[in-house]
Formats: sequence, C-alpha cells, structure tokens
Amino acid sequence: MIAGALKTPIADARIQAPDTHTGDTPISPRGRLLVCDGLSKRFGAGTPALDNVTFSIDRPQLTVLLGSSGSGKTTLLRTIAGLVPLDAGRIEIAGAELTPASLARVRRRLGMVHQDFGLADRLTAAQNVMAGAAVNLAWPRLLFQAYPRGVRLRACELLAEVGFTENQANRKARELSGGQRQRVGIARALIGRPQLLLADEPVANLDPQTASGILSLMRAAVAAHGAGILCSLHQTDLACQFADRIIGLKAGRLVFDGSPAELTAETAAALFASATRDSDGGSDVSEPRQER
Amino acid sequence: MSEPEILQGRKPDAWHLKPPFDFRILVLCALAVCCLGYSAQRLDLGRLFSDVGAFFMASAGLKESSSIGEGISGLSGGMFPPVFDERTPVEYVDDLEARLARPFAHLETTATDQTSLDPGTLEIVTRQIETQVLVEPLGYLFLVLLKMLETVEIAIWATLFAVVASLPLSVLCARNYAPHLAIYAAARTFVSFLRSVPELISALFLVLAFGFGAIPGIVALALHSIGFLAKFFAEDIESADVRPQEAIAVTGAGPLAVLRLAVLPQVLPSFTALTLYILDRNVRMATVIGLVGAGGIGQELKGRFDMFQYDRVATLLLVIFLTVLLLDFLAARIRRVLL
Ligand SMILES: Nc1ncnc2c1ncn2[C@@H]1O[C@H](COP(=O)(O)OP(=O)(O)OP(=O)(O)O)[C@@H](O)[C@H]1O
Ligand SMILES: [Mg+2]
Repeated sequence: MIAGALKTPIADARIQAPDTHTGDTPISPRGRLLVCDGLSKRFGAGTPALDNVTFSIDRPQLTVLLGSSGSGKTTLLRTIAGLVPLDAGRIEIAGAELTPASLARVRRRLGMVHQDFGLADRLTAAQNVMAGAAVNLAWPRLLFQAYPRGVRLRACELLAEVGFTENQANRKARELSGGQRQRVGIARALIGRPQLLLADEPVANLDPQTASGILSLMRAAVAAHGAGILCSLHQTDLACQFADRIIGLKAGRLVFDGSPAELTAETAAALFASATRDSDGGSDVSEPRQER
Repeated sequence: MSEPEILQGRKPDAWHLKPPFDFRILVLCALAVCCLGYSAQRLDLGRLFSDVGAFFMASAGLKESSSIGEGISGLSGGMFPPVFDERTPVEYVDDLEARLARPFAHLETTATDQTSLDPGTLEIVTRQIETQVLVEPLGYLFLVLLKMLETVEIAIWATLFAVVASLPLSVLCARNYAPHLAIYAAARTFVSFLRSVPELISALFLVLAFGFGAIPGIVALALHSIGFLAKFFAEDIESADVRPQEAIAVTGAGPLAVLRLAVLPQVLPSFTALTLYILDRNVRMATVIGLVGAGGIGQELKGRFDMFQYDRVATLLLVIFLTVLLLDFLAARIRRVLL
C-alpha cells in the first residue's frame, strides 16, 4: 500500500542516480524549489503561530529561518512537510502544489530533520537512517528491514560523515546521547538525497565545533546535488556564517528576508527581543536581550 | 494587544496553575463508592465477611465450627495424599508384557478379605482372595502430564492463531490506521463480539461442530484471544508516539512502512507482554474448557471429580499449578530476552 503510483524506481535507483527525478511531475526548468504563499496557522484561540508568511526559494541555497523560541519556525517547517494543516495559504514544492492528493508524491522530494528527532528508540542508529529510504521498498523487504545494498552503503557513509563509529552505528537509538540522536536524524533526512531539506534546529544539541561540521555537511549536500535547504536556527552567528539567505520570523510573521550581510545587529536584536516580556513595558527593539 | 498576551503577561505570583485533579474526579469516586455499597447489598456480601470471620475464629479456637471449615476439611481429607500410581488388576490388562517392561512397573499380589454367605452352610465366611495387580508407581502422574502437555499444546496453537489474526485486525481497529471509518467500526464491533462470547460457551457449540477433542478447544480459545489481543494491540498502536511516525511519513512512505518502522518497534514489548499473558490465560482456560469435552486435562479433571476421586483431583490440580508456575518463569525469561 505504498502511496503513489510509482512502480519502476527502487530505493537503489533513487540513491545512486539522484539526478534522474522519478516523480511524475519533473521540475520544470523555471520551477522553484519552494513557494510559500500567505501561510497562516492558528492553534486554538491564541495568537497565530503563522501569520501570512510569504516567501519562495528559487535555487539551491541554504536558507536559515531565524527567530526566538515560539516564533513559529517549527510550525512553518511542519506545514511545508504537510504535517500541520494550514488555515490559509498555498505551498508548492519543486513545481508541485502540496495537496492531500499530491502529499505522498511531493514528500519524496523532501527530507526533514525534526526538532525532537523522531527516532524509533528500539531501532539502531543505522536502522533509523535506512528507514529514511523505505519509500519504495517492497513489503517483504520492509518486513525484514532488508534494505538494498546501496541504501546500506549510503547509510554507513552518512553516519561516518556525521561522526559515528561502526560500534555507535549499531547502538539502539535510545542509548544515544541527545547530540548523537540529532545527528542520526540528520543522516536519515539526507539519505533520500532530497531536493528540499527541511531542518528544524539541526544543531540545537551540538557543541559549536560539531554544529559547524554539521552545517558544512548540509552545505555540501547543496553543492553536491543541488538541494535547497530551509533550516531553522536560533544562533545568529551560525546563521550569518553559513546561510546564503536569512528569513526572520517573529510571532509568526516574516519580519526579515535578506542576505546575512543585510542582517544588522539591531534587526537581529529585535528578532530575539523577548516577546513574552512585552507587557512588562518597553518596545520590541529597546530590549537587547538575546536568547542564545 | 490581544487577550492571551495580556494573560501571558500576568505577574508570576498571580498565575493560575491547573490543579492535578479536579473535583469531578472526587464526585466520581463518591459515586463509585455508593454503587459498590448498593451492589454489596444485592449480592449479600455481608455473608462473605461473617463466614470468613467465623472461619478464622474457629481456627483460633474461639468458636466450635464454621461452615467454611467443614467444607474445607471434608475436601482436604479426600485430597490427601495425591495419587501418583496406577494399580490395575492383571485381568484387566491386555498388554501386560509391554507394560511390565516400562520402568518401575511390577506385579504385586494383594490379599483381600472377602466376606460372603456360604450357600451350603448358610454361614458367613471370610475368605482371602489373592489378586495380582500391575503397579506402575508413576503411572497416573505420567497420564496427567500427557494430558497437561495436550492442554499446553492447545493453548499454544490457540495463541499462535490469535496473534496471526490479531496483527492485521488490530490495524483496522486502530483509529489512526483504519482505511475507512466504516471499516474501523465494523472491525471494532467484530472484535468486541469475539471478546464477549466466553470460551466455555463457544467451546460447547464448537464441540457440536467439530466433535470431542483438541480442535474445538483450539478454535474456542483462539476466537476469544483474537477479541482480546486485537483490541489491546489496537490501543497500543493508537497511543504510540507520533513523532517517529511523522518522521517516516514525511519521506513519502506509505502506512505499511510507518507501521513497520515507527510503530512496531515501539509496541513490540507491549505486544509481547500481551501475548505472553494470553498464553498463560489460555493454558488456564484450556483446562476449563476441557470440562465440556474440548480436550486436554479438563476432561480428566471433570471425570475424576464426578467420581469423587479427590486424591486424583489433587494430583491434577498440583500438575496444573506447577505448569502455570513453570510458564510464568519461562514468560519472564522470554520477556527479559526480547525487551
Ligand atoms: N500542536 C500545537 N498546539 C498548540 N499550539 C502549538 C502547537 N504547535 C505549536 N504551537 C504554538 O505555536 C507557536 C509557535 O510554535 P513553534 O513550535 O513553531 O515555535 P518555534 O519557533 O519552533 O520555537 P522553538 O525555537 O522553541 O522550537 C507557539 O506559541 C506554540 O505554543
Ligand atoms: Mg521549534
């Protein structure tokens, strides 16, 4: 019951030949990687988590979503992955509109790093990574988690790239540290060679050195097969160092969109001005507190 | 500024925190106590306490006798000591040679006094009659163990069939994986129906359909176990952590992949525990449904009970108890290995 009507491509082909797009709607030459048009989302009666967010990603680049805690970064990434239904707005990924009907097909072009990792605790690190390539697996293989050789090789390579040893690769996910779990999540998102990688705070649990390493790895993925990356961060310095472009979110609204060079210290400060203290007086910008 | 933001901005000393439980729970508890009191009256539960009290007073020597005590002493007198051997008069044994060859089997001659009226003299005479009996010291125990094995086999097959049928059925019974609401409702109804028919009743009918023996027992136990397992498997599936499921789903993989890679690893320990519980329960229930002719040790138990051979009943109960104990031990080991 694997969704989508694709028969021919097996996971192998997807991994080894990333440039042959197997989807039924190939990207048109001018097709943009991601179009978000007027996205709005409100949970319950509170303030909106997303408020009329409009932007697009036109070419392979690393776009960083910058914003304080609760500004709507996770919500935005989850709506793009079709995990949160929108109140209003339209999403287009690699030329295909995101609708309930196209969801499974569009998702094949996505990779996602979840803020809370979403690993299966009782599977090993390697099994978790390979699970990211289960899309086209026939059910007997699925039942026994018998992934094609190509997938296994790629999983090992990716795990090595995010700093795992062979021993660690065979450890159960629940026995890994927070940062290790995060790196497994990143390897899993990359195994399908996504055209668009959504990464939700992929370096939140990592030390500065490892964080830089992971972001370089993700940049390398952009260069290697022309992927677009939308990555949420809350470290302004990392964003400026690695991003091609920065999108600032505050209270669900898009308040900044530009290159790292254009992000002034004041704008960054305003972005992180503690929203929850608004009622204690003082405007957004006047408080230079940065949540780092 | 909107309402929630103002609320959010209240000083910490003015924050209102949700209480851990609210008064509705207390009201519900009070209501439950009232219902229990009413039910106790209806069932005459007072007698339970007075009888048990009398029994303890009698045991402590404070009272002459108690109804429970009399019942128990009457039974335990008949049950002790349990019978392990089989003694058969030689004239009833067809294959004497073969049975004598078994370990420990031997012949014994017993002399019994027989009193009868001598038709000639019209006097009562006592004569010694010598009968040869074949004694197999562990013969009965061996028979009981064979019956127990049959019972355990019935339980294992029933559990196996139940697990195989419950796995797909539980997916249809899980709200988040049922392909359609109608299918979900139908599956739930079917499963509830299976659970609502007691094994003993379905075994009665199935014995009519299949005849005496193990097969009706297996089917009866399997049907009931499906009703139980499918329901609880489904509840585990529904309450599994959604985050790993979402992570597999965003790769574009279908529900089968999500079930296999994100749900199954999570619910497997619980599935194992439920299955082992059902196996344990099936062993015990298999003895009960033997009473209506569905094979195994229960058939033997009922026969001996009806013949007032309580010493043999004691052997049977002892074997059942030891088997349940052994299975419990094995189940604990299996659980430790799997989890
Ligand atoms: N499932 C949900 N139900 C209700 N409210 C939600 C839900 N998910 C998010 N929210 C609310 O939406 C707002 C935005 O949350 P979101 O998780 O997108 O923030 P974020 O920018 O990712 O924050 P962080 O940096 O802490 O991860 C928050 O106020 C949050 O409480
Ligand atoms: Mg977040």
